Amino acid sequence: MSLDVKLIDKKVLKDVIELVKPHTPQYCYQCAKCTSACSTSKVLPEYKPHLIVALTRLGLIKELLNSGIIWACSECWKCAEYCPQDVAPVEVVIALKNLAISMGYKPPEDLRVMAKNVVELGYISPPIEVLSKEFEMYSRATLGLPQLIKPYINVEAVNNLKKFFGGVYE
Amino acid sequence: MSKFLLFLGCTIPTKQYAYEISVRNVLPRLGIELVDFPEAGCCGFPLKGINKKGWVYMSARILSLAAKKGLPILALCNGCDTSLRKVKDMLKHDEVLKDEIAELLSREGVKLNFNVDVYHTIEVLHDFIGVEKIKNLVVRPLKGIKIASYPGCHMLRPSDIPRPEPSGEPKKFDAILSALGAEVGYYPDKGGCCGATMLPYSPKHAFRLTAAKIRNMKDFGFQATTTSCPYCMEMLDSKQEAIRAELGDDTLSIPVFYITQLVGLAIGLKPKELGLNLNLSPVEEVLERLGVSLYE
Repeated sequence: MSLDVKLIDKKVLKDVIELVKPHTPQYCYQCAKCTSACSTSKVLPEYKPHLIVALTRLGLIKELLNSGIIWACSECWKCAEYCPQDVAPVEVVIALKNLAISMGYKPPEDLRVMAKNVVELGYISPPIEVLSKEFEMYSRATLGLPQLIKPYINVEAVNNLKKFFGGVYE
Repeated sequence: MSKFLLFLGCTIPTKQYAYEISVRNVLPRLGIELVDFPEAGCCGFPLKGINKKGWVYMSARILSLAAKKGLPILALCNGCDTSLRKVKDMLKHDEVLKDEIAELLSREGVKLNFNVDVYHTIEVLHDFIGVEKIKNLVVRPLKGIKIASYPGCHMLRPSDIPRPEPSGEPKKFDAILSALGAEVGYYPDKGGCCGATMLPYSPKHAFRLTAAKIRNMKDFGFQATTTSCPYCMEMLDSKQEAIRAELGDDTLSIPVFYITQLVGLAIGLKPKELGLNLNLSPVEEVLERLGVSLYE
C-alpha cells in the first residue's frame, strides 16, 4: 500500500519554487509565526500565510488560486521578518500571483487598471485633479509643478511593457 | 552641496502633489540640489504580482538611466526606494536574470548598469543634511506638540536589503522630529502597515488597518502624525474622512503631515509653499498652535 501523492502538481510546484528563489518554501515547519505577524490576518482572519505555504507545498494550488485570497496580501513583509526558516511567505504569495496570471486568472480590477496605465502612460494613474481644503480643484499646472512627460517613448520599451503586463487587461 | 536625481515614482506626481511641492521647496533651502528625472516613470513595484520580471525590468531601467547621469537617486516613496534597492540586490546575485534584463534594455538602447546609489527622503534629511543643521535653521519650533512618526512598512522591511531605517525602528525619523522641537515617543505597532496595498482587494479591510494605526496614536496621546510615504499619506490623510464614515467612528481624526512639510513649517516656510492646503486631515489644529494660518 502506498500513500496517494497524485495531489501534488509537481510542475506547478517547481514553477513556484523557481519564482521564490532564493527563499525555500520546503523549509517551512508550520510554526505560524508569519500568521501571528501578518497585517492582513489582523483584519481578515481567514488569511493565513502559514496555511498558504502549506497548501502550496501540497500542490493544492488551484484550490488556493480559485479562492482569490492571495490578492489580500498587504505586502508589509512582516512574515518574512519573523520567519525563522527564511521562507518569506510574502515571496511565495507574489509567486502564486504571477502563476495565477500566467494561468489566466484575473487580478482585482484596480490592478488591471494600473497595468493598463503603466503600459499606456508609464504611470499607474494619469495625473489627476485634487480637491484642496478650500474646495478648489488643483492640477500639476495650477500648482506650478512641471508637466509630466511620457517616460516610455521607445517602441521596444513599450513592447517590453506590453509583453509583461498587456495580458491582464486586453 | 549634495546633488540628487529627484525620482518621483507614480503616486506623488499623479496625485500626492503636496509631497513634491514640499520637497522642491524645502530640500534646496537645506543645501540639496535636485535634478529632475522625468524619464524615470513607474518603478514597477505595484505590478510585481502580475509579473515579477516586468517589475525588475522597470526598476532596472530606472537604475540604468540614473547611472548614465552619474548621480545618486533620491526616492521619495517607500515603495520606489524598496523596489530599486531590491532589484539592485537581485541583479547582483542572479546572473541569468541580469543577462535577461540586459538584453531587454539593450533593445531600447539602454545599457544595464545598476551601480548607482539610492537614498530615501529620511536619509537625505538625517544622513546628508543632518539634524544639527536642521535644528540650527528652526525659527518656528514645533514645541509642545506630540507627533507620531509613521515610517510605513518599506522604510523598515525587508531588512535583507539596506533600509533607510536600518534599526527596524524609525529612529532617524524621530531624531528629525526632535530637532524640529516636537515631542516624540512610542505607540503600539509603530512599524505596522497602513493597508494601502490591500485597497485593490478590499477597501473595507484596508481601512480597518489604517483605523487601528490612528487609534493607537491617539490612545498614546499623539496630537499629529507624519510620514514620508505617499501610500501611507493616501490612507492616513486623503482617505481619513472615508475611514471615519466606513467605521462610523468620529474619533478617527488626526492631523497628518509629510515630514518635509513639518521641516518646512519649522524653518519658516508658508503653508502654501508646502502644499498644506492639499492635506485633507485637520492640519489646522497644529497650525493654530504655531500661530500660522493655512491661508497666509
